[in-house]
Amino acid sequence: MTPSPVSDKSGQTMTTNRIALVIGSGSVKCAAALGLMKVLEHENIAVNMVVGCSGGALYAAAIALGWPVERAVEATLRMWTNDITAKKNRRALLQLVLPGLFKFDETFGLIDDGLINRRLREGYQGTTFSDAKIPLYITATDLYNGDQVVLSEGDIANAIRASISIPYIFPPHKLNERYMVDGYQSDPLPIGVAIREGADLIIAMGFESPYQERITSLMRYNLQVSSVTSNNLLKTNFAFHNLAHHAEIIPILPEFKHRIKLFDTDKLPYVIEEGERAAEAQLPYIKKLLNG
Amino acid sequence: MPPKNKSVTLVIGSGGIKCAAAIGLWKVLQENDIHVNSVVGCSGGSLYGALIANHADVKEMEERSYQLWTNDLMQGYITNLKASQDGSLKFNERSGLVDDSVLNKTLQGVFGDWTFDGLKTPLKIAATDMLTGDKVILSEGLVFDAVRASSAIPIIFPPWEVNGRLLIDGAASNPLPIDIAIQDGADIIIAMGFPLSYRSRFRSMTAVQEQLNNIYMNNILNATYAFYNLAHHAEIFTILPEFEGAISMFDVDKVPHVIERGEQATRELVPHIRRLLEQG
Amino acid sequence: MNIQDIQKNGVTVVQFSGSIDALTAPAITEHLGGLISSGQIRLVVDLGGVDFTSSAGLRLLLGAVKDARAGGGDLRLAAVQPDVMKVLKISGFTNILKLFENVDDAVASFG
Repeated sequence: MTPSPVSDKSGQTMTTNRIALVIGSGSVKCAAALGLMKVLEHENIAVNMVVGCSGGALYAAAIALGWPVERAVEATLRMWTNDITAKKNRRALLQLVLPGLFKFDETFGLIDDGLINRRLREGYQGTTFSDAKIPLYITATDLYNGDQVVLSEGDIANAIRASISIPYIFPPHKLNERYMVDGYQSDPLPIGVAIREGADLIIAMGFESPYQERITSLMRYNLQVSSVTSNNLLKTNFAFHNLAHHAEIIPILPEFKHRIKLFDTDKLPYVIEEGERAAEAQLPYIKKLLNG
Repeated sequence: MPPKNKSVTLVIGSGGIKCAAAIGLWKVLQENDIHVNSVVGCSGGSLYGALIANHADVKEMEERSYQLWTNDLMQGYITNLKASQDGSLKFNERSGLVDDSVLNKTLQGVFGDWTFDGLKTPLKIAATDMLTGDKVILSEGLVFDAVRASSAIPIIFPPWEVNGRLLIDGAASNPLPIDIAIQDGADIIIAMGFPLSYRSRFRSMTAVQEQLNNIYMNNILNATYAFYNLAHHAEIFTILPEFEGAISMFDVDKVPHVIERGEQATRELVPHIRRLLEQG
Repeated sequence: MNIQDIQKNGVTVVQFSGSIDALTAPAITEHLGGLISSGQIRLVVDLGGVDFTSSAGLRLLLGAVKDARAGGGDLRLAAVQPDVMKVLKISGFTNILKLFENVDDAVASFG
């Protein structure tokens, strides 16, 4: 793809800057991207590519497909309910106890992913990357070699499913003959994709993984270690991308007063508001760069 | 005017028994009269880094390796793992699945009462703050405390308290701590790192956990290297030895192979390092 | 270090051979800088003949990539050899640069 001046779709301000939006992993918190989108739309700032990872992939797809904020919220409420993790994978439980007999393998996941797969298919209605109004990139991680995998072709629901393969919970997702796990395992905020695809101004919304207040079980201990490594990965990659990029990267890091858990969809309005607030705070800077 | 002597810092990353490749590195540097001004180590690399900082003999380091990586280090693992699964083992931030008395005794046997001050070459060791996730640099007090903290593989070994902070494996934040060498103003950094190897089959939950953990660690390794590679003003030579087949934690019989590969990989770099040192 | 330029379909293909390190860096920087300032910002660097890159080498290469991109172009890599690929991977470069098996594919990618 040759970097070229941005086409003017809707009579918006022409700019030679290619603007990318990158939405990192952060489960329900990623809905803050919708708040950011509101702000950009209000200012007539057109985005030229969207990159999403894990929870961020859900919203990156919504934005790329041109869904209004209300529709994205509605879709989230429909897709992301706690019954998607309600059905335990029976075979997985047997595999845990008797791995030899029940042939433990790479498809292991504690939860039956039938429902989430169906929800994603219904939610994204068979749309493909070529239906996206803005080029869309979704990241996952190859279970076998740990590499970041950038998905930009085929069925969107399928790509999102790969990107949100939360370790141990959902089975890895088989796509193009590779087993994919959650995108955050290789980079929780995949700014590198926007750099490679020729973006100039990169607006990156990222979320740190929360730390445990108290460690009272092996599970919590595991979660703590996972947050430690994932946050260090986030920071180090961000540092690298800052040095590697030829133009500006604007980080937008919403802060939440309350802990937002995996299925706290009742907090969506609050999450979106915080995203809006964080975006507003950076807006003067973004505008200056665009008019620069 | 004679050129200013360039300072050389050696960085040895985390990698368990594979870190014994540093013995080969140390051997080649000595043979080529490449003077090392400071040493940085992380996890398994802190162990060999400390030995190098004390100018240990190559043969002695090899002997130490056989004593270190014995499987009684994992004492209690299976029982505790089961107990943690059925809930009879209560886990808190000071817990580990292994009884660390063997590890402590082994490390004490190697480092005794060595202090950072007493070492022949300055040494710094990387660890991670278990509660905040921050990178921690250890450079004073007992070498034993620092190596023990830096090697506290999460979940396996209990964290180690130093100066009131609960510390775990340096690999969780900084598997190849080049940044510490940069902060110290090194002109030339020789960094030996060990990407973790991946599995191609998953026959148990532990295998999956290990794979996912290794993916994280390798991506952190790449990201840290990527950043410091751009951030540093001078030259970083990376040595990533490659081994035949997978090397697991207690493969002491593979130590000679590991050392040889470290030696070989270093030899390939020597001409490049020499040219830079001589250029002034 | 040998440097040679070839023009192909409006893309400048730069061939290096030897090693890219602190010692050869100045010559390479000057060469790529010269191309970019003369407006040749669609660049393919053919690494088929390069067997070693160091951190200084990678930094200068990225410097040229950034200059080319800032001008609306790009610098893409072709025919990277296994040892160099290992370094590019651990340096994060494979995630931010476009790499191609051979020069023709790289040239064609500019469209």
